[in-house]
Amino acid sequence: MGSMLAMVVYVVLFAYLLSAILYFLGSKTGKENILKLALILAILGCVLHLAILVMRTVLTGMLPLTNGMDYLLCFTWITVLMYLLLTSRYQLKSAGGIVMLMSAILLSLVLVLMTGQLGSVAPLMPALKSPWLTVHVVTAAISYSAFTLAAGLAVMQFFPAGRSIKDDYVYLLVAGGFALLSLSIVLGAIWAEQAWGRYWSWDPKETWALITWIIYAVYLHVHRTREWRGNAARWMVIGGFVLVLFTFFGVNYLLPGLHSYA
Amino acid sequence: MHKIYNFISSMKTGLFLLLLIGLASAIGSSLLPSTFFQTPLFELLLLLLLVNMILCTINRIKRTSRVLISKPGSRVWLRQLGIISLHLGIVLILIGGLVYSTSGQNERIHLMSGDQVDMGQVLDIKHPFTIELDEFRIEFNEDGSPSQYISEVTVLEQGQEVEQVAISVNYPLNYRGVKAYQSSFGYLITTQYVAKNNTEKVEGFLEGQWLEPADTNRRIKIYKYIPNFNPEYGMASVSMRPDNPHIVFSVYEDNKLLGVGAAKINEPTQIDENVYITFSGVEPYTILDVKADPGLPLVMVGGIILMLGVCLALLAAPVRKKNSVQT
Repeated sequence: MGSMLAMVVYVVLFAYLLSAILYFLGSKTGKENILKLALILAILGCVLHLAILVMRTVLTGMLPLTNGMDYLLCFTWITVLMYLLLTSRYQLKSAGGIVMLMSAILLSLVLVLMTGQLGSVAPLMPALKSPWLTVHVVTAAISYSAFTLAAGLAVMQFFPAGRSIKDDYVYLLVAGGFALLSLSIVLGAIWAEQAWGRYWSWDPKETWALITWIIYAVYLHVHRTREWRGNAARWMVIGGFVLVLFTFFGVNYLLPGLHSYA
Repeated sequence: MHKIYNFISSMKTGLFLLLLIGLASAIGSSLLPSTFFQTPLFELLLLLLLVNMILCTINRIKRTSRVLISKPGSRVWLRQLGIISLHLGIVLILIGGLVYSTSGQNERIHLMSGDQVDMGQVLDIKHPFTIELDEFRIEFNEDGSPSQYISEVTVLEQGQEVEQVAISVNYPLNYRGVKAYQSSFGYLITTQYVAKNNTEKVEGFLEGQWLEPADTNRRIKIYKYIPNFNPEYGMASVSMRPDNPHIVFSVYEDNKLLGVGAAKINEPTQIDENVYITFSGVEPYTILDVKADPGLPLVMVGGIILMLGVCLALLAAPVRKKNSVQT
């Protein structure tokens, strides 16, 4: 089962990469049919990606939310889905390339850093047996996706091709991500209190999630001011995303602790 | 004076403090020991933030009071309410945390089956009560890994049974302002041996304790209980379920290590010529974290208000329509 899942991951990865190339190409040449093909590939990849999540659910008997690899699979899927839903309503074609590229790179980490885990099934340890797990992890995943998208858009805003990307789009994605991250942090604290007796222990995961939250909180306060709007605000959005990556990967691999599940 | 108040209560100061806390946390988390977060310096930063946020929130309520009174239900009203709620929530959380750091209590207790602990002796509380451990057990998954740790306790007040509670991970006891969490456990290893005064003894030993039997200079360190012993795994148990229980022990003579052994339960083990000991049983004891946090209700309410506020502010977020700018 593990090797079959890995094959599907490769196919999705290929679809996303090809889609990214076509988006960049279509953006540069202005050819609509190249952009259409890019979109079709992204949709196909997204559907197959969903199939991976369904297969993991069937294999483990629970939603793919309880370990680092499943979480990565989830939030990259939500990122692509979110992009597809938003681009059907707003002018985000010029960001297709970077979003699909980021999703492909993140997904590839499953194959690079977590080889062999696709087929693994393990019973939940006592600390993870909680009704709070689902809401805490789902809100975190959607917030990560929103921040990833916002960062992709912000990067494109530095280039002439990203002319059509409005500041309001970036702002709303960050605001949404911030709301969800706030929920995730609070729900995580409620859960921690039930499990360990402390709602906040400054463990690496909690601390870096808070630091991430702080950067976005500052962005939300200053992004419209004269000194910060434009490029400075864009750098904050990108910086926030770097912190998101560190909170997820850096903490797990560089600063282990009580929280090292995902 | 006015200038100082403006400085302490300004949003700029607040954001600066937030960033400072973020930076300090980053350094503390990656380079300093975890005790950094309890140092007066760090706690001072949090206190300054609390003061700033209380003032900011009051200022904001004053400034938006006209909108709040005149346009209830409007998008602007909802958004302002959301923003005030989220800031108020953070203030309550910080106050709750402050209450805990000044008057919260946290202790650990060890209980064997049948043991009673008077909470009034462990914590300084207004309504003391007693808990008695009826049974501590570990439930296992098919693969031998632990599924849940359960301490079945009875709560007693003045000798009268009040209720029976099964404390497990994620399901703490919550009684009269005291919470008890399933924290950890250990093993007591019952050992039969002949003591130095030539009496036969049956005694419980904690892992790591020493035993000195009669008729020998040798000493035994009762090192570890391994529920599922496999020599290929060395000191690590294959799983937590007692599928092949062994006691690992080491024998010393004149402070020199003679050897290490792994004995089965009820298997007489030779230590020296005509000197035997027998490990006759293993009994687990539970370790509970007991806590009294008077700030917890504040933190909980703050958390809920924060969540509601942030959702409200988002759903009522301003979207620029053509040339109009809303905040």
